[in-house]
Amino acid sequence: MLLREVEYARPATVDEAISLLATYDGARPLAGGQTIVNVMKARAAAPDVLVDLADLDELRGIGFSADGLLEIGAMVTYAQLQGSSEVEVARPILAEVASTIADVQVRNRGTIGGNVCVSDPTNHLPPLLTTLGATFTIRGESGERTVSADEFFIGVYMTAVGEGELLTKIGVPPSSGAGDGFAGLTIGKHGTYIVNAAATISGEGARIALGCVGATPVRATTMEERLAGSDFTEESIRAAADGLGASLDPPSDVHGSADFRRHLAEVSAVRAVSQAAERRKGA
Amino acid sequence: MTTVTEQPTTTLKRGYVGQSIPRREDKRLVQGLGTFFDDVRRHGMGYVHFVRSPYAHGKIISIDVSKALELDGVYGTLTGDEVAIHTDPFFEMSVEPGGNIKDYALAVGRVRHMGEPVAAVCAATRELARDAADLIEVEYDSLPVLVDAEESLKDEVVLHDEAGSNVVWSGVFDWGDVDQALAEADHVVKIDRLHFHRFSSTPLECAGALVEYDKGTGEWTLTCNHQMPGIGAIWMAPALRTGIDKLRFVTHDIGGGFGNKICLHPQYVVLCLMARKLGRPVQWTEWRTDQHTANAHGNERTFLDVEVAVKADGTMTGFKVKALDDCGAFPRYEPLGCIIWAQVTPGLYGWRNIRVDFTQVCTNKSPASPNRGYSRMQHLWLTERIIDIVATELGLDPVEVRKKNYVKAEQMPYETPNGCFYDSGDYAAALDIALDLIDYGSIEERRKEAASRGKLLGFGIGSTLDSGTNNFGQSTLLNPDLQFSGNNEAASVKLDIFGEVVVTLGTVPQGQGHETTAAQVVADILGCPPEQVNVRRGHDTWFNSHAGFSGTYASQFAFTGLGAVKGAAELVREDMVQLAAAVLQAPVEAIELADGFARIKDGPEEAALPFMALGAIVNANNAFLPPDFNPTLNHRYVCRPYFGMVDTEKKTGQLTLTYATQIHAAVVEIDPETGEVEIIDYAAVDDCGIRINPQIVEGQVHGATAHAIGAALSEEFVYDEDGTLLTANFYDYHVPHAMDMPPLKTGAMESPSPVAPLGAKGMGEGGGGGIHCLGAAIQNALAAAGNAIVYDSCNPPHRVWSMLQDPEATRANVEVVSK
Amino acid sequence: MGAPARSRAISLEVNGEQIELEVAARRLLVHVIRDDLGLTGTHVGCDTGNCGACTIHLDGEPVKSCMMLAVQADGAKIGTIEGLAGDGELTPLQQAFNTHHALQCGYCTPGMLMSATALLERNPHPTEDEVRYALQGNICRCTGYVNIVEAVVAAGGGSA
Repeated sequence: MLLREVEYARPATVDEAISLLATYDGARPLAGGQTIVNVMKARAAAPDVLVDLADLDELRGIGFSADGLLEIGAMVTYAQLQGSSEVEVARPILAEVASTIADVQVRNRGTIGGNVCVSDPTNHLPPLLTTLGATFTIRGESGERTVSADEFFIGVYMTAVGEGELLTKIGVPPSSGAGDGFAGLTIGKHGTYIVNAAATISGEGARIALGCVGATPVRATTMEERLAGSDFTEESIRAAADGLGASLDPPSDVHGSADFRRHLAEVSAVRAVSQAAERRKGA
Repeated sequence: MTTVTEQPTTTLKRGYVGQSIPRREDKRLVQGLGTFFDDVRRHGMGYVHFVRSPYAHGKIISIDVSKALELDGVYGTLTGDEVAIHTDPFFEMSVEPGGNIKDYALAVGRVRHMGEPVAAVCAATRELARDAADLIEVEYDSLPVLVDAEESLKDEVVLHDEAGSNVVWSGVFDWGDVDQALAEADHVVKIDRLHFHRFSSTPLECAGALVEYDKGTGEWTLTCNHQMPGIGAIWMAPALRTGIDKLRFVTHDIGGGFGNKICLHPQYVVLCLMARKLGRPVQWTEWRTDQHTANAHGNERTFLDVEVAVKADGTMTGFKVKALDDCGAFPRYEPLGCIIWAQVTPGLYGWRNIRVDFTQVCTNKSPASPNRGYSRMQHLWLTERIIDIVATELGLDPVEVRKKNYVKAEQMPYETPNGCFYDSGDYAAALDIALDLIDYGSIEERRKEAASRGKLLGFGIGSTLDSGTNNFGQSTLLNPDLQFSGNNEAASVKLDIFGEVVVTLGTVPQGQGHETTAAQVVADILGCPPEQVNVRRGHDTWFNSHAGFSGTYASQFAFTGLGAVKGAAELVREDMVQLAAAVLQAPVEAIELADGFARIKDGPEEAALPFMALGAIVNANNAFLPPDFNPTLNHRYVCRPYFGMVDTEKKTGQLTLTYATQIHAAVVEIDPETGEVEIIDYAAVDDCGIRINPQIVEGQVHGATAHAIGAALSEEFVYDEDGTLLTANFYDYHVPHAMDMPPLKTGAMESPSPVAPLGAKGMGEGGGGGIHCLGAAIQNALAAAGNAIVYDSCNPPHRVWSMLQDPEATRANVEVVSK
Repeated sequence: MGAPARSRAISLEVNGEQIELEVAARRLLVHVIRDDLGLTGTHVGCDTGNCGACTIHLDGEPVKSCMMLAVQADGAKIGTIEGLAGDGELTPLQQAFNTHHALQCGYCTPGMLMSATALLERNPHPTEDEVRYALQGNICRCTGYVNIVEAVVAAGGGSA
């Protein structure tokens, strides 16, 4: 409930931040702090150095690249996603889901970068960004690279961002007629997810990702294949989901057994796909 | 959106009493100017952090504090060895074997639950104390862990060697002739097992204290949030080998109690020892995680082998049950929970033949502490489950079967099978109000409509009683050697030197509006506006307006707290009238107190004395008063409710004096795919007799309902097999937030209490009404999908889903044997 | 800027007053507000940032001060509960809390008021649902939220 001694730095530029992260062993970025401060209070982890990204305006932008890709700075808060006209126009599901994360106070500080870099299996954005086909730009002293969601999420609390590196922005393709959905069961309204599912239906078919059932988002590939060319009736969606639960190896905990999570995964996938299919029609 | 339906059943004349006067406490609280104990500072104070056991059960092999003491800014430490030298174990209420348990302020030689304090360290800042705690090295040898009460009963692993058994207390309560009732019954409904789960009210302000020791006088001052200092002192003083008068409890504002701030004596004794040892004030604020793991869980109770006698016409004539109560690692306030349920033995029903075979055991879990609804809630849940399960199994209407079996208004005051008197109430009428509020007539239509959306709709009733003003003689039914009986509460009222009206309370409010309601009562008696009455905030034993049972707990303020205020105010009134009569040279009968004056009724304007004049005469200008007339305008009054004696042989007697009714009704929709329960309509009807301040009463009903809804749908303290608490923070232990609460409709009735000084019954705990009605509503919803029986008091989605998947497993629990 | 350090001199505006102090990097903002600045109206109710009793305004937005380090507030404008009522004159919202009995123990109340004040600043006439959404991050164990929601809606000129 109280942190250990820690050293703190507040760089003025992204390069300075990267330099600090590379120079000091045990240095970690501090974004909104809605996760890391709690972790440090519990003394579950104790970075030696916190590099505060608060002054890095370069990471706070929301805009479009030349190719029309929606580019969201890593330090953009959930509240900013909710209020962004660019997000509203290009990929509204992102704002919708962000608006259900925790509460107003958390949304005023918590960032999209923090949500994905924590890579907590119960977080909202990893499965969603997976189905949206998002890309993740990472910068280090040796340069910059951009990776896919599959390459980005490596494990629990582990991502492709290495020592001395920083996630700078997330690229989200605009909808272009695709329909997106997100569904699941939370612990109380707007609480932590017990199981969630994200779905995107487009001309290229279905992309479905499950959260809370594995270390990283799990693609429901069989269900995706079955939905190729589907007319997305309720029966066909349910039929496509059959056996999805059995293919998973989710954890058991106080909120649900592995079997319950398997079942919820199927239910959530069906609901997310239904929602996505509905919106695609409407689009 | 709340609608209030009032059914006044009295024509009692009231002035300020009965009005919803806005609270005076609010002015400071809405500005953040309240004083909660952690707001208080003392020069040179140290901050204490407890080192706690990570294991549920183990031997302490060694504790090494040396590295902690080397840290700059650390003032000192305390371990169990020192506690065992400087204190005696806390007094235990039970008979053998439970009475032999040795309970110290810190673990001595052994730890018995995860989070149990093992050592304490004090340092200049909170952070340093926390750092120092990491440097204290404790070596443990783990022991087998007991997290199941039935396992514990086997005594294969014994938690307390001095007791030799895990049984804290056991006894059989047998009234009427249940064997006969079962033999004569047309149907016997058997229920193998029902489980009331472990949860608690988790007040937002955690426990704590700032303790100072005065070496010159040997007195301790505890600026704290203990909600029942009388009992706190009774435990602490003998342990500290000092007199009760050497412990001064000071409380100001308290951020919620709900019973969870009653058993703070172990931590407080540590602080007393450290304040004395280190020669400086020491402060400890409990962490949220520690409150969940190691402070105060509500009683967990398993009901086994229930048998219910039912006649063909639906009359239930009796039941028997084996109750197994799990009080965690140390009894402390227990085994009182083993008898307190008997205040409401028959629930709201007229059955006369009841046998309860009650056993309480220790396990390696957090110690239990009275939690809002204490022990009665568990028992009332049982009676409501019985009514609903019997109704379901025999195809009886849940409303009609209740009305048939309810104690009737004409029967009040009603003597229960074990000698308690339900003072007043009209359960059927209250039920009708609740049904009206949720538009009961439309239930079946709404059920069909919900089904068309794929949802299961259900409706449930929860009847409950809030028994108030305890007879502590009930404890002798558990242990005839205990020297406790009756009840009391004190208050003092005075006119100060210039006539200011000042009230001090023996109670310890944690949000119940005592300052406001006490002012209303005094204002009516002294004939002045409530704003003219200054009620001192909080409680201070140094003011001597306390008695043995002082505190705020167990739904008794309206009786004993306000009874004491009334008594003291009436004595002051007497003085004022006599003094005014002497000054105005009029007969006493001609004097009235009104509008802030003592004056001659219908007399000339000059024949009126403001309170200032009265105060000034007595305090500063009294020479002309006759020698035998000595009004003080300052009175302390102890309200002592009258109880008959209890019969320890038959275990009968008057255990509580007042019984407030609450009838709850809920309509839920279940998502059969996820097990999620949504409350779509909810009504709570309360009858607590005369309502001193209706808005405050309604606020209590709202709060109790929210606690019950949280408990019914999500709040559960769950342990794994190693005794680790899995729900130790607000993520996993989900309490209702604003979006989780359904719209609440409330109704009120007033059946005045014939025994209470103001006709007002204690209220506030709410009796768990929401837990009863939501269980019933869920069962009703599931009737269309397998007909599962609700067997547990907490039904989060995973449990509802299990009941949908395998209703037969729950139905195997129930058997009907019909003639 | 520069090398990481264990403590830092920070400058912040608190309830309109400029404050300079040196704080250890590890100190939580809520503790600095309570213990160093003596503003004890902001409360601590949990360990994990759920309860919202610590809610303050940071540059005009409600945030939970138990999930921020004091050093992060360098250069910021902070508003606490003590800053709402000017000269003891209660705001209409504080008044509404009293009229509608929206507090019992008062422990969650400062946080509730900070969240609700921020809501009314951007949405002067919120519906009941909007109020519940805005207060989702503030736990109350006494009132069941009924009268709190009623008070905020009333302060916005509506009725629940």
